[in-house]
Amino acid sequence: MTGTAAGRAGTRRATRRPGAAGGRGPDGVSGTGGTGGRHGARTGTVAVVLLVLLVATATWAVTVGPAGITPAQVWTSAWHELCSLAARGAAVCGPDPLTTIERAIVWDGRAPRVVGAAVVGAGLAVCGAVMQALTRNPLADPYLLGVSSGASVGAVAVLVLGVSVLLPVAAFVGALGALVLTLALATGRGGGLSPVRTVLAGVAVAQACSAAVSIVIFTSATGDSYREVLSWLLGSLGGTTWNETLLALGALAVVGTFLVAQGRALDAFTFGDVSAAALGVDVRRTRWLLLVAVALLAGVLVSISGSIGFVGLVLPHAVRLLVGARHHRLLPLAAIAGAVFLLLADTAARSVLAPQELPVGVLTAAIGAPVFAVLLRRGAR
Amino acid sequence: MPRRTRPLLTAALVAGALAACAAPPDGAAPATPEPGASTSGFPLEVTTCGLTTTLEAPPQRIVTIKSSATELVLALGAGDRLVGTAFADGDLPPDLADAAPPVLAEQNPAAEAVLDLEPDFVYAGWESNLSADGAGERAMYEELGVATYVAPAACKSPEHQPDRLTFEHVFDEVTEMGRVLGEPEAATELVERQRAELAAVDPAGEGRTALWYSSGSDTPYVGAGIGAPQMLMDAVGLENIAADVADTWTSLSWEAVADRDPDVIVLVDSAWNTAEHKREILSANPVTAALPAVIEERFVVVEFPAAEAGVRNVPAAADLAAQLAALDLGEPVP
Repeated sequence: MTGTAAGRAGTRRATRRPGAAGGRGPDGVSGTGGTGGRHGARTGTVAVVLLVLLVATATWAVTVGPAGITPAQVWTSAWHELCSLAARGAAVCGPDPLTTIERAIVWDGRAPRVVGAAVVGAGLAVCGAVMQALTRNPLADPYLLGVSSGASVGAVAVLVLGVSVLLPVAAFVGALGALVLTLALATGRGGGLSPVRTVLAGVAVAQACSAAVSIVIFTSATGDSYREVLSWLLGSLGGTTWNETLLALGALAVVGTFLVAQGRALDAFTFGDVSAAALGVDVRRTRWLLLVAVALLAGVLVSISGSIGFVGLVLPHAVRLLVGARHHRLLPLAAIAGAVFLLLADTAARSVLAPQELPVGVLTAAIGAPVFAVLLRRGAR
Repeated sequence: MPRRTRPLLTAALVAGALAACAAPPDGAAPATPEPGASTSGFPLEVTTCGLTTTLEAPPQRIVTIKSSATELVLALGAGDRLVGTAFADGDLPPDLADAAPPVLAEQNPAAEAVLDLEPDFVYAGWESNLSADGAGERAMYEELGVATYVAPAACKSPEHQPDRLTFEHVFDEVTEMGRVLGEPEAATELVERQRAELAAVDPAGEGRTALWYSSGSDTPYVGAGIGAPQMLMDAVGLENIAADVADTWTSLSWEAVADRDPDVIVLVDSAWNTAEHKREILSANPVTAALPAVIEERFVVVEFPAAEAGVRNVPAAADLAAQLAALDLGEPVP
């Protein structure tokens, strides 16, 4: 919510075609309208609170689970692991309080899942914020270019048709395929990508992919193999491995840094292409670059967790309500908020009905909707 | 009928060529029942999953959906009255293997395809087979004078679902189907034979805990406390680690599996998700790879179709017992 007069004027000046989704910038959802200075002061507070929350949530999440391992044991074990890594003797480190199985549960089961949830949540929030800026559509989310439906095609090919590729690899390839298709459809004659065309092309590709997925499931899913497909389509962080987690972390670090560096250009985009060009942004090239970067990151995320809804759509708005729409502030904070949020949701997903698991997508909406509603009402005062 | 393109996977894996097109009905239904079918006790009323159906005479044109239904009709000697079968979970068991009943569909057939065969009896292994998005609602068949029957073990509503499936439920279904098909003697004989076979099953898993691993990789789908998996584990003396979940099957996190540390793991083997594939998943997942049952390969295998109430349960129990006896479960080998 830049809320400045220039910002609002810029928004109005932008070309509006009939049927264009979202004529206003991403700040259109809010009416806080504070000044940049006030937001700047608040940013520090929000950042500190979120970081403390992230560390606290992550450490607590590792101690939660159906196996009866006390937080104290987890802490002692963490100290023991770190101490052993530093190659200190047993005299210093003390005995490991956990059995082999318990160690596997905590450090190979819970820990990568906790880090994975944080990384995926952060990535989704960042992707959502950038997509909303680039398409000037408050309803844009990370999966807008069809990456999640493309990934589903890859996943279903593995799960149902028995294609012998690693599932995340197949999902990523599917996501890339959908991205290429969407961009090919959306690119105008001069090589430009208009926001509206991009959104519509994404819709078309997503629909085609989900039709393909449905056909495969309907004709080939035998016995209970549809259950695996369903869990993937609903999004799940179950079975997240260290390799997947580290891969996502790498992608988030690289793409996230690039996006934050492009903060000024993203700010310009929210005022519309004409204004962005006037502000010295190479609109065509930058939009291409940013869209591809976001879609690649979203593709990596979706290949690990399936498509988890709500986080990428709503969290950017929630963070904007708190700290305004300037991207150099919004993106890092949205990342931390997304991490905390998905971590909470996933921990709830695996503990509410323990030993059974709920699909995390159910909980992201169940937790997120009321929180967002409160923020929205407060913003409307 | 339009030719249906068969999915590659099933085509490659399901042995025995399946007809892509249903055979058209060969003329009208014979008016008089077969000499083998007993007409005493008709008209007969049977109630399954809360719905009552009336049979005026033993059915002559039977359509079955799911392997369990097909196999029971075959085992009772009424295979020649099958005009269509659908939704096979795998090959027929060895003792019925030479039967070749006509195949109508690989999964749920459309209502029209079923009606086209002019059946007088539709027998489904799952309640969901006879629903609007399956082969059509039972009420529609009843209105058209087609009797319907759903395996009582598969009823989903709490008031009709067996709260803990036992072999008595299985034998009751065999007996009732014997009455319906007019083959009561065949049913009595089959139940007696299976009772004797069950009594001879050695509870080789006595004092051991087990996981019934049915499907899933990130979150396994396992046999829970009240269905056929629990019944089979009870029969061989195994204690189910998911017995506390009051459902037929349930999803269970790997962490919960590791925490409960089963002595033995039952791997369900099916064409689309083999026991071998499940072994790979268990070894690849660091949490389960640490389990003694996985390290020492204390696995037993059960065929997927045996995990539903039907004529395969007793042979499966005997087979599981034999596999358990062959495992080294930590006792000194003589």
